[in-house]
Amino acid sequence: MSGRRAVVTGLGVVSPVGIGADAAWQALVAGRSGIAEITLFDASAYDVHVAGEVKGFDATQHMDPKDARRHDRNTHFAVAAAGEALRHAGLLGSDDRLDASQADGDRFGIVLGTGIGGIGLIADGLQTLNERGPSRVSPFLLPHMIPDAASGMVAIQYGLRGHNLAVVSACATGGHAIGEAMEAIVRGQADLMLGAGTEAVVVPLAMAGFSQMKALGSPIDPDTGAYQPAMASRPFDATRDGFVVAEGCAVLVLEEAEHARARGATPIAEVIGYGSSADAFHMAAPAERGEGNQRAMRAALERAGIGPDEVDYINAHGTSTPLNDRYETVAIEEVFGEHARRLMVSSTKSMTGHMMGAAGAFEGFVCAKVIQTGCVPPTINLRHPDPELTLDYVPNEARQADVAVALSNSMGLGGHNSSIILRRYEA
Amino acid sequence: MSGERRRAVVTGLGAITPIGNDAATFWTNLCGGVSGVAPISAYDASNEEVRIAAEVKDFDPRDWMDFKQARRMSRFSQLAVAAAAQAIADSGLEVTDANRDDIAVVLNTGGGGIGDVASAERVYLEQGPQRVSPFMVPMLSPSMAACQISILNGLRGPVVTSVAACASGVQAFFEAQRMIEHGDADVVIAGGTESAILPVAFAALANMGALSKRNDDPQGASRPFDAKRDGFVFGEAAGVMVIESAQHAERRGARAIAEVAGGAMTADAFHISAPEPSGYGATKAMQRAMRDAGVEPAQVDYIVAHGTSTPLNDATETKAIHGAFGEAAGRVAISSNKSMIGHTLGAAGAMSALAAACAIRDGLIPPTINYEHPDPACDLDYVPNTARQAPVKVALINGFGFGGQNAVAVFRSLD
Repeated sequence: MSGRRAVVTGLGVVSPVGIGADAAWQALVAGRSGIAEITLFDASAYDVHVAGEVKGFDATQHMDPKDARRHDRNTHFAVAAAGEALRHAGLLGSDDRLDASQADGDRFGIVLGTGIGGIGLIADGLQTLNERGPSRVSPFLLPHMIPDAASGMVAIQYGLRGHNLAVVSACATGGHAIGEAMEAIVRGQADLMLGAGTEAVVVPLAMAGFSQMKALGSPIDPDTGAYQPAMASRPFDATRDGFVVAEGCAVLVLEEAEHARARGATPIAEVIGYGSSADAFHMAAPAERGEGNQRAMRAALERAGIGPDEVDYINAHGTSTPLNDRYETVAIEEVFGEHARRLMVSSTKSMTGHMMGAAGAFEGFVCAKVIQTGCVPPTINLRHPDPELTLDYVPNEARQADVAVALSNSMGLGGHNSSIILRRYEA
Repeated sequence: MSGERRRAVVTGLGAITPIGNDAATFWTNLCGGVSGVAPISAYDASNEEVRIAAEVKDFDPRDWMDFKQARRMSRFSQLAVAAAAQAIADSGLEVTDANRDDIAVVLNTGGGGIGDVASAERVYLEQGPQRVSPFMVPMLSPSMAACQISILNGLRGPVVTSVAACASGVQAFFEAQRMIEHGDADVVIAGGTESAILPVAFAALANMGALSKRNDDPQGASRPFDAKRDGFVFGEAAGVMVIESAQHAERRGARAIAEVAGGAMTADAFHISAPEPSGYGATKAMQRAMRDAGVEPAQVDYIVAHGTSTPLNDATETKAIHGAFGEAAGRVAISSNKSMIGHTLGAAGAMSALAAACAIRDGLIPPTINYEHPDPACDLDYVPNTARQAPVKVALINGFGFGGQNAVAVFRSLD
């Protein structure tokens, strides 16, 4: 290969557990859940009315009010998180645009994935059409609702003119976005890339669809029977019964290592591996024994050029559905063999819920922070060991540990699998 | 890279389009200057501002899948599954346990299952959340066309969907080429699909002023580069190619018709719907794509233009071609298949890829129809109105999207 390496030099987060990378990280380490009653609309008619909402977010703090009005919430999140990540990497000038002394905009690209894009705008547009007729539908609807509206708007807002697209692979999107961003740097298509995922699906129609799939976790404390939204996501627990819909965005600035060195930026970690596969099995159910997930993890290890026993931590897909958590455990056992017993595996979805197309990017952010800080966030709500699930899921409390290599799994409806591997950067 | 680049060649074609439901018919009609634009049949548009579209005609999903599968699949997925089945059959590829892990799918789209969102929203508003279909979420996901192709054909390599608005379809082909070059797959089923002939999409696009309003002259409505163009005609389609490594094709004795030689993307970073007026981003994308493919402007014989028939796009694209080609711009043949099949958004790049590969294979360049009134801002050779016999060794395909994404791919003859 070319010898070009992709390092992480900036992080940005808008999430149910906090706005800003620091706030979110502190919540994860403290084991604080971001799951609560739905407030974005009246959900009282729904079977399940809890979600991982982003709280206290004001789009106009991050973008022009006119742009904010036209864009979907998923784009708002992306503009905010990208701004934080770029600032963190020292790439923005005083005008909040890319600082040309730090990087060439033509060589700075974006892969900003989403599961569905502007579904809130689509639903609004349909309502307008039905109630008030075609001439009242917004002329801004189409370019703002499409899944790549966020990647376009982030480019516009900050002046990033390189390789630019959105990847879509349902809940595996975030992993694909970071993997593709890494590849773009290694292959020389760009010197800097934003690898990111964004999602804003807490809208009535989407919640109805999720609810009808009968795959949502119940917000009931399994021991006391008390109504407890923060207990709805219980990955790897014997009482787990479904996932929790969440929203948010995470952005990683990936930079060619030599480029980072030349401008004096500090690498937080290096993205060294990426694997992708399909189950070719079923639209909604995962393949037995996590067979596709196994192939994605193996491909990522091969791409990274490391053996399974070099991995210290896995941020699991861990959705809290009965099937996912079982098959993912089996897949880890198959790929890592004996070493699976020594690995730490945790699911931060126990706290954030499932951020869909943003999940893999958020979990990439978690892996970078684990490597940087030597602290592994826990799987909360894990009180009833499932006899079939016997890995070390870092139950309930964060753990100090020296982590040099971390892997993040993401899997999506339709049978997408993506795995990415980050490692402590050594020149 | 060390050693010889793994080359990616085209070995199978499939198409469901407004001018034919297989690749051969599509190509014959494209060269015959046949328009697929007609009054909208998908819904009653008689009182709407825009009443014409380039729809796929006589498509029965049950020719390609069983009834239950069809019922749980959005039309954009159905079109893609059918085009993929054709492409796989055309290539003679047999999927076996020995090769299925090394066959990838890159199937892009602009909007995915927006039609199902619209019908689910109606159910939701009229009957409440409990009546929304449990299949809605997996049906509408933009990646579902790729997944269905993977599931129905047992393909277990990477399955990826990228969205770059109207540039989506172009990106699929150089992504496929990169996967093959880097050994991520031996075979890639690559293409684009779109089906969004819906009142809400037409209302929004019409209110943007993006659509042609020549309702009483459907076949003359899409007129790229013509001085009297007034907007694009919305269309639906799916186009799929089987792309594989040259060694893999040779080993199994497959007939290759062209090589995917490279490509590139850039962003305008300018505006969410208008092209940047200097064409800077589009020029850069063409230059980088040529560099990636190792070809010089003077070697390019044919540009399959984005050519939407909007006043702004066609003038800006012309300017961008001048920027990228300099002197050579005047010598290259340029045509827009959107003059016949309208703008199929996420499938548009796949339509152009089919045109490029067939032009290379047959030495025939399809025309830009409805070209009657020269526009001083569009001063290149647009192959007006009739197809042209000419050897094509290198063809470029352009795709430019809302949000300012520019994608360009390069196809080359095999010798």
